[in-house]
Amino acid sequence: MRAAMAHRANGHPPPAPPEVTAAVTAAVAEHGDAAGALIPVLSAVNRRLGYLPPAALAEVSRRLGMPASRVYGVARFYTLLSTEPRGRHLVQFCENAPCHVVGGRRVWEALRQALGLAPGETSADGRFTLITTSCIGACAVGPVVVIDDEVHGNLTPDQVEALLARYA
Amino acid sequence: MIELTINGQAIRAQAGSSVLAAARANGITIPSLCDHPDLKPYGGCRLCVVEVEGARTPPAACTLPVAPGMVVQTETPALAAARQAVLELLLANYVDGDAPAAGPAETEFMRWVRRYGLAAPAGVAPRYPVDADPNPFIRVDMNKCILCLRCVRACAEVQGRFVWGTAERGFDTRIVAGADTALLGARCESCGACVAYCPTGALDDKLSRGLGAAERKVTTTCTYCGVGCQLDLNVRENRIVGVTSNPAAPVNGMALCVKGRYGYDFVHHPQRLTQPRVRGYLLEGDGRRPAGGSRGPWVETDWDTALNLVVRRLTAIKQAAGPDAIGVLASAKCTNEENYLMNKLARQLIGTHNVDHCARLCHASTVAGLAMCYGSGAMSNTMADIYAHARAIFIIGSNTTEQHPVFGARIRQAVLQRGVKLVVADPRRIDIAEFAAPRFGGLHLRQRPGADVALVNGLMHIILRAGWHDAAYIQARCEGFQDLETTLAHYPPALAAEITGVPVDQLHQAAEIIARNKPMAVFWAMGITQHTTGVFNVLSLGNLQMLLGNMGVPGGGVNPLRGQNNVQGACDMGALPNVFPGYQAVTDEKARAKFAAAWALHDGGPHLAETPGLTVTELIPLAGEGQIKALYILGEDPVLTDPDVNHVRRCLDACDFIVLQEIFPSETAEFADVLLPGTAFAEKDGTFTNTERRVQLARQAVSPPGQARPDWAIIADLGRRLLAHEGRRPAGPQAGWDYACPAQLMDEIAAVTPSYAGVSHERLERGDTLHWPVKGRDHPGTPILHIGQFTRGLGKFFAIDHLPPKELPDDEFPMVLTIGRVIYHWHGGEMTRRAEGLLAVYPETLVEINPEDAVRIGLNGAQTVRVTSRRGEMLAKAIVTDRVSPGLIFGNFHFPGAQNVNNLTIAALDPIAKIPEYKVCAVRIEAVAGDSPEAAPGLAQAAAPAGRSAPGGAN
Repeated sequence: MRAAMAHRANGHPPPAPPEVTAAVTAAVAEHGDAAGALIPVLSAVNRRLGYLPPAALAEVSRRLGMPASRVYGVARFYTLLSTEPRGRHLVQFCENAPCHVVGGRRVWEALRQALGLAPGETSADGRFTLITTSCIGACAVGPVVVIDDEVHGNLTPDQVEALLARYA
Repeated sequence: MIELTINGQAIRAQAGSSVLAAARANGITIPSLCDHPDLKPYGGCRLCVVEVEGARTPPAACTLPVAPGMVVQTETPALAAARQAVLELLLANYVDGDAPAAGPAETEFMRWVRRYGLAAPAGVAPRYPVDADPNPFIRVDMNKCILCLRCVRACAEVQGRFVWGTAERGFDTRIVAGADTALLGARCESCGACVAYCPTGALDDKLSRGLGAAERKVTTTCTYCGVGCQLDLNVRENRIVGVTSNPAAPVNGMALCVKGRYGYDFVHHPQRLTQPRVRGYLLEGDGRRPAGGSRGPWVETDWDTALNLVVRRLTAIKQAAGPDAIGVLASAKCTNEENYLMNKLARQLIGTHNVDHCARLCHASTVAGLAMCYGSGAMSNTMADIYAHARAIFIIGSNTTEQHPVFGARIRQAVLQRGVKLVVADPRRIDIAEFAAPRFGGLHLRQRPGADVALVNGLMHIILRAGWHDAAYIQARCEGFQDLETTLAHYPPALAAEITGVPVDQLHQAAEIIARNKPMAVFWAMGITQHTTGVFNVLSLGNLQMLLGNMGVPGGGVNPLRGQNNVQGACDMGALPNVFPGYQAVTDEKARAKFAAAWALHDGGPHLAETPGLTVTELIPLAGEGQIKALYILGEDPVLTDPDVNHVRRCLDACDFIVLQEIFPSETAEFADVLLPGTAFAEKDGTFTNTERRVQLARQAVSPPGQARPDWAIIADLGRRLLAHEGRRPAGPQAGWDYACPAQLMDEIAAVTPSYAGVSHERLERGDTLHWPVKGRDHPGTPILHIGQFTRGLGKFFAIDHLPPKELPDDEFPMVLTIGRVIYHWHGGEMTRRAEGLLAVYPETLVEINPEDAVRIGLNGAQTVRVTSRRGEMLAKAIVTDRVSPGLIFGNFHFPGAQNVNNLTIAALDPIAKIPEYKVCAVRIEAVAGDSPEAAPGLAQAAAPAGRSAPGGAN
């Protein structure tokens, strides 16, 4: 215990796996290493790795010369970033008022039932992660579900099964 | 100035100041929580709302700039209601787990809660684990957090470490360390600033928990490093129950380091010496030491017996072998008053100049070198001056953030807040090097150990060629420039790069940064001084600052950071073999006559020799050869801290008679014949002189344990007994040994020491800021030296050539060993190894080795290494890190026995200053087979690609 504490006190993080290093290197190559590049870099790494493991946050912190606390704070703030592993497909349900008043709640229940997931959970087979999101600006076609980068509007509960089936 | 009205009172305030600050400056208190005078305004808690005429809603006073004609009300019924509402919201999720038993906490937050007639609601469910972090010093209970973010801002704006941040959104927002890890995993230095600034007790001092509230607070000066922080010892029932910041502390304000804030419990450690001890043989028969082997068992005795025995033995040795067969080692941990007495004891009563102390091992080369080029061997500027005025800082051979942590944190802030350009020259990638990164306009040079002269000559060569030197200054104030010019011609960048290992382009960049951002202040410590070329290194830096015209100006200067809390004072007090107090040379007839008169005895003594005495680094070896028969050692531990300790042990073993005045039975106690229990810093009054020549009071907070006595009282008692035993009587005005208190002692010091002529406890109690020289009772002191002219008149350039270290790597010992300390420990560790929390975070020596070398010696999987030099070996855990370059290893001397790096170091001395070359010796390193393969610490670093490191980021 004592020795372990001592080694932590000396601030040596676990090694970054090669895929993490590669993802951060690519993101920094694309977006630069200025402070303002933090969100694009995290976003790119999140996209490539599916989430932001601790080693990725540490590596971004090192490359951008930015405190770990700040990198972590940003990673935890935005829904587009995740510090937990996610499924292959991210299902985002808009829970804002315009979607709600055109039948969003019934679509939400259908989604939950079809996936068997509570918000924030990932399916056992690693296929889907379900989260809620605030308005994505597609109110005209509500209720709206975003799966990965694709927006699906005017949804009804009976369309949900077929929609999910398109994502393997 | 801007004029406004607050509560009907006309107020003038600086433009840009906030209404809150303006009110505070005029004695008007506006309730606030997230605001603190040391921190940038945040405007988060909304408690400081005020009414401003013409404003639609009450703005927060902390972020509201003063404006001409502004009319402000700070106390109205509407504001009271608004503040109540704010506090009720903060209380809604506040849970103080201690409150049911202990009552509401005496915190800033709870004081405002009570003031507005509120109380914490009952039955609120805690949202977070209590005592959530394993840090041994800092207790984390986020159930009391009100998200004022003072901790986050203190960590950023005071400490510059950026450990704390916020995570999540909305109601879930919370304070996290790093990437939501334990504090120590987030590069926390455990300085406790976050605790000091926390208004709710969410962050609390773990060591003080359950010890009860302080009965009184005693403001005193820290016992650890030379920065000279002041702090409040919290005392209850004659025990220190905690340390708190004193916002009025002149050097450090609220800032302290982990040792100063949390390293106090050694004072009450059960191993404290509480009664005089003598070896049994001294009380029996003919008093002859048993032949061969140990000195035999200790016998506890009374002060009379112990001191009379010391008097008889010392007198007998003096009569038989002469006074110069006795050596006196004073202590840089003790007060000025005590060191003065040690100097007086040696010179007046024993009759020898053989008095020295550990400054020999740290800054002897600084004192000698600066005296040669400028005439005064001390830091020329003050820390606050450099923090405020320097435009560039050059740190060479100082691990500032670990060894002078509070000042190191200041340098970080100078870079962050004022854009000061920092160049760090250090073979290791020490922490402060992060702030010498190119993105801050700085640079880290990794020169080879022992290549400092070549490095500085190379930089000066470039400066001269580029015409960046200050020709007018050199012409007006210096001499010997032509010799320097001739020598510098032989150090073109290519050659400097070859000797130092620093690439040519980096030499050019560094030269430009330090030359073109003026004023530039140079800092150094042991990395410069502890070489056989120590004096030459110092002279080179002296050259550099004259070349650039940076001497005698605000924000510039030569700034050796002194290690021990009172090493500056111990030198000032004449605890050196070549000078009386105030650097009055023993070779100077007038000085000898002055002290012969001041200390005159009725029998015509003292007889003060015309030649200097012996240094620590000579006394101990000569004890081994039988030339030195007795040593009187005050608060030093040469068995841990001197180079080549195996030799030191043999020498001490051979010495006839050793008196050790200490607070613990240290490693050196094994070789002592008499052990006198002295006192820790918290148990006595006196003064310490910090690294910037500032004299400060140390005040007694608790009484000494058992029969332990203040060291000044012990030495004075011994002095009186020596006088009586030899039948001598004082005749001169400063010859007596009857002292009622340290204040009286300081008056005697002032009478004989021109640079302390105006120093008195009374002035210090009054709050006077006294940087010596203080030439008289009305003299204000001298914050900056060498203004207008150097102490010696003209500053003298010395043409210095590079010389290699004494011992270089070869086939048998292929690695270079350099040594130093770590933030959590102090020196030989006698105090810090007895401070529970410090030992918990750093329980054993770690040897730093580069990943390449780790692979080469097959360290992968093993943890322990054996390091061997021509003089001995050490066994310790390795830490694999690119803090050290390939071929270089680093160890410390905080732990005794096999873990001590001084088993390996070489006692090769600088010919002028007699300082040993701790910083370079040749060793070989091997992995110790059969060692547990569990988690080779830091192997992480081996796999991590090189990249720039982050302040507060992982590294």
